[in-house]
Amino acid sequence: MAIDKSKQTLSHSSMDMVTRLAARRPVGPPPKRGLPWGKYFHYFFCSLSYIFLLSPMIVVIGASLHGGEYYTAIKFPPDEPSLQWYWKIPKGQLEALGLSFGLAGLTALGACIIGIPAALGIVRGKIPGKTLISAVFRAPLQIPAIVTGIAFLQLYYLFGDATGLYFQGTFLGLYIGHLFVATPYVVGTVTAILQRFDTRLEEASFSLGASKLSTFRRVTLPVIMPGVYAGALYAFMVSFGDVPISIFLTAPGFVTYPIELFYGMENDFDPSILASASLVIFFCLLVLLGMQKLVGLDTLLRSGSR
Amino acid sequence: MKTRWEFVLLPSFVIIGILIVASQYVFLNGSFYKDMGLGRIGDSATMVNYIRFFTDSFYLNTLWITIKTSALASIFTLILGFPVAYLIARMRSHWSMLLLAGIVVATFVTIVIKVFGLIILFSADGLINQVLMGIGIVDRPYTIIGNQTGVVVGLMHFTLGFGVLLLYSVIQTIPRSLEEAAQIHGASRWRMHMRVLLPLSLPGVTVGALMIFNMSMGAFTSAALLGGGRVFTLPVLIQRTVMMEVKYSMAGTLAAVLLVTVLLINLLAIFLIRRLRAARLVIA
Repeated sequence: MAIDKSKQTLSHSSMDMVTRLAARRPVGPPPKRGLPWGKYFHYFFCSLSYIFLLSPMIVVIGASLHGGEYYTAIKFPPDEPSLQWYWKIPKGQLEALGLSFGLAGLTALGACIIGIPAALGIVRGKIPGKTLISAVFRAPLQIPAIVTGIAFLQLYYLFGDATGLYFQGTFLGLYIGHLFVATPYVVGTVTAILQRFDTRLEEASFSLGASKLSTFRRVTLPVIMPGVYAGALYAFMVSFGDVPISIFLTAPGFVTYPIELFYGMENDFDPSILASASLVIFFCLLVLLGMQKLVGLDTLLRSGSR
Repeated sequence: MKTRWEFVLLPSFVIIGILIVASQYVFLNGSFYKDMGLGRIGDSATMVNYIRFFTDSFYLNTLWITIKTSALASIFTLILGFPVAYLIARMRSHWSMLLLAGIVVATFVTIVIKVFGLIILFSADGLINQVLMGIGIVDRPYTIIGNQTGVVVGLMHFTLGFGVLLLYSVIQTIPRSLEEAAQIHGASRWRMHMRVLLPLSLPGVTVGALMIFNMSMGAFTSAALLGGGRVFTLPVLIQRTVMMEVKYSMAGTLAAVLLVTVLLINLLAIFLIRRLRAARLVIA
């Protein structure tokens, strides 16, 4: 078995070498006459996609820089550049942001605590019906988000009627709902990494006299860490941006940032929303940069592709 | 030294399992009772909510609009997303990281903020209408708020970033050398795409399309804000039924119909893919 594996990697690396050598020599596709219109069209089309995708965020940031009076303050492109709205973000929005940060952080943590053992069990456990078990862990993503929201609301009502403990509109209630949809991401990313894990590393650690616990801490955990980071990031972002679940489980005076924004837009635009939204966009960029430094974006995506 | 990993799994499985079963059971069960107003429900099980759903044209129309907008959003997401995913996956320079970063940020920023930007962009005196009216294409401000186009655009903003990431990982599994081989043998770019790239990526793309469709079917925010109280999709209607009409049973019925519709469409799609595979129309 072991020999087989090494052979495979050998042939693979020699294949790599061949392609690399081939790439160095000008073999490639034969040169064509005329301009590569197909290629230009492809670039043009992609830039349209990017404009479509990024324009709303650019508009929000741009409009947040516009000064002016309260009722004329939403304008893009801005003509009176000013940072005034950044100083006028009301307390309600800041509180909502704080709640969202705390909730998302704890959700990421909780998702890891539930998700990592689950992934270990799915990949390594000797259990019948593994497909079914991993389907159960993936189920929260298949259930439409709005259905999850109303399902938890009704569950809390029923539970409250039976025990006198009402969870709706409490931090714990909101937290359980978010944990429910965030956990599958961690399970997914860690499973993806574990499936490529070389168990001989652990065997080596055992044969050198390490205990189970220290093998896990010093060998297994560092290897699966990129998957954990990626999963935790997904979990954080899912919780941080969620509307369909939070809208049922929050209460007046106790709202997450997206819900505060949602109600703010349904009623009356307060220009300071633009400023706080821009701050959130910058925060997402910052997280991304951190992630790129920590594990690299492609690792993030390769392990998160489910 | 053998670790019994199946016991490690158990606590997580129990937690998630209980949450799934309990939450789904409660609202499904509730959907079989009659709303008595003020959040109270009747005490005997009845099909009255389901009968109402399937006989009332408003509800049926809502279901149809939900499926239609989700399907349109999924198709357009694939059309806009695939070329981008292909470009990034096949790029050799470090610019690909920058392009990828743009996609990831767009995926992570909450949809409420993106819809906010869209509303500013498409407002009566917004940039798009200024340009359109300036060059005389339209004489009245064009709006996407309160119509189905708006809902589809909103859904696309919800799914496009995610879709590109999905397609990117699909395309990365296809060896570049196969495309080069086709081109060395004299295939044109178009022919290479149709005969090599498309068949190889089709299974992954179908799975991705299904995931995008599922996301759209459950999407509440973009439909609620861009529908502007005039276009109703099932998620929007569910929220209104709970928050404004306080009819939990009817909302449960709507949620059940949505859930079953999504499941049925998924099963149908998987069945079709199997059949196509058996008929050798799809490779892999």
